[in-house]
Formats: sequence, structure tokens, C-alpha cells
Amino acid sequence: MMDEVIEQETIVWKGYLACFGNDSCLIQSPWILDGDCVFGADSDHTTLTVAAIQLMQSKGCNLDSINSLQDVEASIITLTTGVEVVQSSEDESVELSADWDLCIADDARVVICKTDSELELELWQPEGTIEVDADFHQEITAAWQRECAPNHVSQGAYISKQQYYEGAAARLTLMGQELDGEMIWPPRQMDNNGLAIPQASTSLHGVATIESWTKLAPAGAPSEFSFRAPILGGITTVFVRFEQGPRGVFLLVDDEDNNPKIGDQVQFVTRRIYAQEAFIRYGLKCQIIKE
Amino acid sequence: MVDVAVIGAGQTKYGNHPLGLKAMWAEAATNAFNSVDNNFEAKLVEEAFIGSVAFGGAQLGNTAAILTEHSGMKGCSVRRVENACASSGFALRDAMMAIKSGEADIVVAGGIEKMNDLSAERKRYWLGVSGDTEWERLAGLTFPGTYALMARRHFHEYNSNHDDLVNISVKNHMHGFENEVAHIRKEVSFEKAASGFMVADPLTLYDCCPTSDGASCVILAADHVVREFTDDAIWLKGSGAGSDYLALHDRHSITQMSATQKAVAQAYKSSGLSVNDIDLAEVHDCFTIAELIATEDLGFANRGEGGIFAREGRGRRNEGDVAINPSGGLKSKGHPLGATGTGQAVEVFKQLKGIVEPARQIRDAEVGMTHNVGGSGATCAVHIFGRDR
Repeated sequence: MMDEVIEQETIVWKGYLACFGNDSCLIQSPWILDGDCVFGADSDHTTLTVAAIQLMQSKGCNLDSINSLQDVEASIITLTTGVEVVQSSEDESVELSADWDLCIADDARVVICKTDSELELELWQPEGTIEVDADFHQEITAAWQRECAPNHVSQGAYISKQQYYEGAAARLTLMGQELDGEMIWPPRQMDNNGLAIPQASTSLHGVATIESWTKLAPAGAPSEFSFRAPILGGITTVFVRFEQGPRGVFLLVDDEDNNPKIGDQVQFVTRRIYAQEAFIRYGLKCQIIKE
Repeated sequence: MVDVAVIGAGQTKYGNHPLGLKAMWAEAATNAFNSVDNNFEAKLVEEAFIGSVAFGGAQLGNTAAILTEHSGMKGCSVRRVENACASSGFALRDAMMAIKSGEADIVVAGGIEKMNDLSAERKRYWLGVSGDTEWERLAGLTFPGTYALMARRHFHEYNSNHDDLVNISVKNHMHGFENEVAHIRKEVSFEKAASGFMVADPLTLYDCCPTSDGASCVILAADHVVREFTDDAIWLKGSGAGSDYLALHDRHSITQMSATQKAVAQAYKSSGLSVNDIDLAEVHDCFTIAELIATEDLGFANRGEGGIFAREGRGRRNEGDVAINPSGGLKSKGHPLGATGTGQAVEVFKQLKGIVEPARQIRDAEVGMTHNVGGSGATCAVHIFGRDR
């Protein structure tokens, strides 16, 4: 099976590098440090897995569920892709019943493959990797460790786990409401006449246009980003309009300095936003579509 | 309908204030009481509306009760009014309506915020709690960011530019320089303001108001009791308020504020006055772009021409069409969130009475306006004051 994977060309997908075969998909971070594949500023195995499933779905693969022995945020994967994660730690006796396995490497790579596949991850050498600055990588990794600590709590503005999940479908899949031929996003309870709006049932197209943007200096960033903003040199937020009308604000992926312009088109990728009380809030970030 | 007058008004100096909440409020209330010409006592107050975000959480509950307890008003009916930065603008409106309803004759409206006794980390937690937490803040936005989005879009739609914002900053620093209660009493050159440290591109440090401590208090009275206290009352001639979507992305436009437009339309209608009658306006310039947009929404400039208005200096004290922010505005006078709205009313009261520092006095001032915005425009209260009833 792996030979088949090796023959595939590198696919640049959602800010990652991937190769795709008939019954497998390998995806990895583009960032390399001393020959090892490492995560960027806002990725982890969960975001890689989401991207891998989305790539497979875009190629027509029919995944209902995947087995996973490793620790990924199953609820985020399911909410974002619709794919159930059958999860078990080694000392539990849950039957891994799915036809697909999720295999997580020690580095920033994951593979989704048929359960009977035999993989040799080392064989694939993707094009388009980028050497990451060692100090940057060390600092951003340490910042995430501090941020993900259980005692990292919030005062002031706070989004609870319940509130996060209440808006998760809209946040992760751009699920909106339809009313009189118009799309409403993010979803709301009632219209301007005080009438209930039908439940969210349609996703916005995954392309939008930048109408405005700003880059916040580290000191101006919300406290939720206070560990990472100084390392990143600030955070960039874009104000976009979707093709169906609604507008929204999103962070740029990897917080990279890629000079957004009004009129630029963006697509959406799943990434970490921030963490508090050991709970990572995932969401969509924008990636500028380069011509 | 009962007419409502302002018979007294006072405030603390804004800035990094050495006093805590209770002492600051007592100082502002005492200054207001002492500004009444005759016979005023704190125990006469029947209702008190005190605006505050309760920044930092020091006295998050029952804020108004403890403040009135420490200013001679224990026992009167009190409540905290919270509408972010527009808290005391709405406290003023609520106080006016209490008198117009006939339920009370003497009512206090005020506001207070203590922002600078927090650690930098705790302050960061609290800044931006009035924006849309679930969608905007998750996208990394606090108010510098939301106003930066408005600014860049205004530049794009109307060919305004950052120099227009610099002109606003320079003007407000010039106005505030002579104001003894202003937080930042420092004039800045165009060149310096144009080259400030970038806070939220395209907004620099000189586009942003400071975080201030401060308290302000105004005393309102029903027309039938005014003469017991003064022969020179300032009349609250018009009031309006509006609201809008909290998040920018839900609004029809991010280069105008419909809450301001609704509020000012009501205020003009209820006062029987128009934009041409306004001699001075205390405008909510938490960021310079907010003043630019406000000059359009309030009718001082045509839509899209707020930049030209600023460029031509039409808001300069005793030089332009109307004096915009003669106090220095939030930019120079300061912005102690909950105190700002009634602090604007203190300035208009003193301008119309002719008792500000002589160098700042607006000549022949007859009618003044206050414009107080909550957050990025979700709420707005506008009031019009006049020397004539």
C-alpha cells in the first residue's frame, strides 16, 4: 500500500502537505526542524486529522468512522467532518470497529488508512517543506504548554465549554440559517421582527473576500493570546464577506505575515485558537488564496 | 411634560488617580453638590443612576449602593447602569426619564471607573469584555482591533486616510492641554502623532484614548423645583438613545453607526433643534476613527466627508463650524469607561455656564451636545443641553 502512496505527488492542502492514495492519506506540517517534522504556530494532531479527512472527502472517499488509539480531540473531528472517532486507550476494551485507522506519528504527521494497510512513513519525502527557526519553535511550543495548563484560567471575557460547543457547528463548519432566501451566520435566535429563525442547516461556501483587516500589536492582543502574541509579533484579524452574504472575523492561519489586502480571497482551515483551563478552543482561520 | 434641568455637575481629575472607588465617587459628588448655586444637600437626592463597567471586578455587585453610602445619599433608590463605555450616558437618560415620569424631582446621574490599579495582566483580561466575546474576541479582537477594521474600511470606501485621524488627535490634544481635569495635558505635533507606535494597524498610539480612573456626577432637577437651587440652570433639551448589533460583522455597514444615527435623530426631534444649532459637542472619540465617523453620523459632516471635516479643522475650538471635543475628548481628557458619559455632561454644563478655564471657553456657547458610545457602537446615548429652556 505504501508504495502506492509514495507515487503520489505532494498536495498542498489547508496549509499542510499531503499525499493521497486510494485507501490512505498522509498529511504533515510543512515545518521542519533539524530534519524532524514539527508543528507550526497553531496546529496539532487534531487539526492535521481534520485536514486529512477533508482531503479524503474532497477526493470522494466515504469515511463514516475511524479508529484511534491516540489522544485527539474526537469531538472536534466529528463536529468538523462528520466522521465518528472510535477511540480507545490501550488499557480499555473498546472494540475498534471502523474500517479506517488513524495513525499518529511522534512528529507532526498523521496517516489515515484502511485497517489492513501496512505503512512505512519514512518513505515519503514531500516537496515544499520549510525550515522553521529553532528559537521560534521552542518559544511557541513552550507558550502552548503554559496556555494548555489546567491552572491557566480566565477573568473578564470568557467562553465556557458549554458556550463553545453551542456555537461549534457554526464555528467549525460555517453552518448558518436560511431565512427568506438569505443566509444568516453566525446563527441567531430571532429575526428583527421577533420571530424564531429556523435552525442552522446550510453551510456557507468556504470562500470569502477580505473587506478589512488589522494587525494587533502584542500588547493590544486579548489576554487569551498574551503568551503567543509577543512571539508571533502580533496577531492578524481579517473581516470577510462570504459569497452568500454574511460577514465574519477570523484570524489568519499560522498568524503568518502575509500582507492581506482588501479584495483578497480567503479559504478556511481548522486550527487551534487558544486554550484555557486545559480546554483548547479550535476554530476556523483564514488562509489567503494565492493566485 | 416636566422639563429637566442640570443644576450641578462635577468630576474628579481623570488619569492615574490616587484614590479608590469610594473616595473618587465622593470627590465627584461633592464637586457636583458644591456647584449648585443654592441650598443643596445630598439627602435631597431621591434616585441615583450610576454608570460603571465595574472594571477589574473590585465592586461588581451593588456598586451604586456602596458609592451612595459613601457620599451622603444612603437610603435613596440606587442602581448601577451598565452599557459599557456608554454606561453613564444611559444613566443620564434614565435619570432624566425618572424626573419626566413625575416619580422624582431631584436625581443624580453619574459614573465611575477605576482602571489603573490593576496589574497589566489583569487589565488585559478586562479590556474588551464589552465586545462580542464569542465571535469577535475569539478572532483576536479587542476594541483597538474593531476600530482599526472600521478605519481601514473607511479609508477604502471614502478615500479618507490616516492623516485625517492624526488631525483629530492633534486637535483633541490641543483642546485638552488647558483642561485641568484632563488625563493627558500634552500638545502633540502632527509629525509626532503621525509616527506613533502601531497598536492595531492602521491605528497608532496617538489614535487611542488612555485608560483612565475617574468619576463624574450631574444633578438633575424638575422644572418646578429648579428655582430653589439656581437662577442659571442648564436645560436638558433633548435626549436620544439607540442600539445596534454587538458584533461588527452583523451590521449593515462598519463605516457608520446606526445606534448613533437613531440616538441623534431622537435628540434633535425631542429638543426641536438641528445640527446647525450646536455650538459644541463632546463626541465619543475612544479612537480617532470614532470621532471621524461620529462627525458624519451626528450630521456635522456629510457621509464620507468626516476626513475632509478633520483635515479642514472644522471642529477646532472657536475656529471651526462647531467645537468638537473642547474638553480634549476621550483622547486627551481620558476615558474612565463608566464615567465618560456624565463627564461629557459636566464639560457641556461648565461650557454653557461659562465657567471653564478661560482659554478653553467656547465663545457665545448656547447649545451643547454629548455623544456617548458603548463598545464599538452597540449602544449610544445623545443629549442636547441649552442655556434656554
